Amino acid sequence: MTFREAAWRVVARELESTLEEERGVGERAASYVISPFGARMNRVLLAGTLSPPEPIGRDASQPFWRSRLSDPTGAVAVTAGSFQPRAMTQLRSSTSSRSAIVVGKVHLYKGRDGTAYLSVRAEAVRTVGESEERAALSDAVRQTLDRLDLIQRLGQVPPVLSETFVDEGTPAHWIMAARESIRRYPSVDRTQFRRELRAAIRRVAGVSSPSDVSEPPPSVQIRRDAPAPPRAAPSAAERAEESLVLEFLDQVAEGSLDAYADRRELLARVGSRGLGSDRAEEVLTRLEDDGVVEEPIVGKLRRA
Amino acid sequence: MSETEPSGAPREVRLRDLRLGEGPVAFVARIVTCDRREVSRKSDGSRRALLSGLLSDGTATVRFTWWDPPREGVERGLVIRAVGPEVGEYRGRTEVTFSWKSRVGLASAAELPSVDPAEVPELKVRDLRPPAEGFRVYVRVARIAERSVSVGEERRVVYDGLVADSTGAIALSAWTDFHLRVGETLEITGGYLRAFRGVPQLVLDERATVRRVDRHDLPEPATVLNAPPVSMARLEESGGSPSATVEGLVVGLLPPSGLVYRCPECRRSLQGGNCRLHGQVEGTADLRARIVLDDGTGAVTINAGRPETERLWGVTLDEVLSRLRERPDPAVWEGDLLDALLGRRLRVRGPASKDDFGVTLQPESVETVDIDLDATAERLAARIGSGHP
Repeated sequence: MTFREAAWRVVARELESTLEEERGVGERAASYVISPFGARMNRVLLAGTLSPPEPIGRDASQPFWRSRLSDPTGAVAVTAGSFQPRAMTQLRSSTSSRSAIVVGKVHLYKGRDGTAYLSVRAEAVRTVGESEERAALSDAVRQTLDRLDLIQRLGQVPPVLSETFVDEGTPAHWIMAARESIRRYPSVDRTQFRRELRAAIRRVAGVSSPSDVSEPPPSVQIRRDAPAPPRAAPSAAERAEESLVLEFLDQVAEGSLDAYADRRELLARVGSRGLGSDRAEEVLTRLEDDGVVEEPIVGKLRRA
Repeated sequence: MSETEPSGAPREVRLRDLRLGEGPVAFVARIVTCDRREVSRKSDGSRRALLSGLLSDGTATVRFTWWDPPREGVERGLVIRAVGPEVGEYRGRTEVTFSWKSRVGLASAAELPSVDPAEVPELKVRDLRPPAEGFRVYVRVARIAERSVSVGEERRVVYDGLVADSTGAIALSAWTDFHLRVGETLEITGGYLRAFRGVPQLVLDERATVRRVDRHDLPEPATVLNAPPVSMARLEESGGSPSATVEGLVVGLLPPSGLVYRCPECRRSLQGGNCRLHGQVEGTADLRARIVLDDGTGAVTINAGRPETERLWGVTLDEVLSRLRERPDPAVWEGDLLDALLGRRLRVRGPASKDDFGVTLQPESVETVDIDLDATAERLAARIGSGHP
């Protein structure tokens, strides 16, 4: 059962900061790129100013065009080729800059030297009025703030239960994406990024013109292999707790039809052995951080 | 007198109180559904007639099997009195078997046990999930409409609607005319539940009792129908809803959209002039749009019919048909339609169901939405915290 991938609402800066990907395995499996700000995207919807396109294909029988879509936070390459004839026609339909909405698939190209180059292969391009562009940008800012808030709360101690987020209406795949984002970018400065969204809000309010695209402030750096702060080696008691949790995880998983261990059931079981649910959550979080346990579906655990 | 003879007369029971191994019983019940078939005996290959279906007396519904039934005259709606049936259990549900050991006769509807609403437990709409039955529920009618359907050979009228309490809303399907009106508050007993495309539905037939009651704690129809939008991810996770409101941007169209030809018999879209059911037919032209609406958390397919398509597109079917000579290619029209819709912000309300390809919403209302950019910007700025933008 694979549903259509949602078009994540993001600002250009988030795509510029994206360095991680998750390749799908198997037939027709979707690939995703993972941003530092809680998005695990296959498809995106962008709003901004689209530059006149330039041809980049060498082969005349395989036309390929590229434009840049900029918003007040940054810019990203938008491409379309002969496999997206409608999007290519749309991309080529203007020789001057214009307000546009772009829907497309995200591609991440990584060079040998570790540089990442992200582009959006357009599926649909539409020239829009300024208010439509600002409205779409406001969606991107709102959902980006939602994702940043989610990441922040996931890092709280004691941890907020997954169920709490689900009860609040947070999509389960957002929680998964946020966790993945935290894991892959342990030392990114999300507060700085949050402040950068202010430029986009000015644009939503109509204060700045679309051409005021600021260069990304030099203070922002995304480090790829930032070392995670070394943690003190676990004490004997902590080790005992971990092995208790893992032992019950295996038991619960074995007894379930889908081979996942239900989070609640696991907590109840270890609770009956004297490990309180707050403490058990901490142990689980640690095991998840260490990559021993994963939660591919909210509330369903398994060994990684 | 042998000791093995059942002790005393069969005990009169209601279906709800049927239990395994509690001695001989007797009950009165109505046949809700029944199917006749024959099975071959393994030993000698002879054929044996068999009736099976559902029985209900208002307290519960149980499956029945009737070996060697009368040749004719047993049909849906008939009230029977059964004495000494075998009581069994299959997958945790009680069922009964009538064989040569049991006696089955006609009974009158008056003999059906009277069910006092106070006796059956009250459920909230949120808890109505198949196979719950033998419950009572208090709801207000948010919407009701008459629809004619064909059941086998016959045409029947069914009353489709939406009822709600403070915990949620559920689709209603009444096969008997209870003269329901929008806004009425009801006490319903004897209804049962089934899942239609994964969405629970409250079904009422002649067994059900509907009583008008005075209740002020039930939401008004307008409140139910104009509920704030839910996230599409939520809909994908929950598997649909009898009445959902979603808001998002149009990101694409699914085929067939634009100008389509439909089978004059069954209204299915034709493929290459052929109907899946009726073969090659002369199609009737129609407009439709299968809109992919996306809110950033998920995507929903909106199945817009001709009126909505014409309104959103600004082009009518007649205009398309009058220009077919110069633009005969349906793909060109589909492209025009896509250009007109792409990026539009829509708020759509209607029943949503889920299948292997995702969530589909049958629109009851489609509105274009404008958002207040200044107010939005202010709200967003407040969330950033420190300083004004």
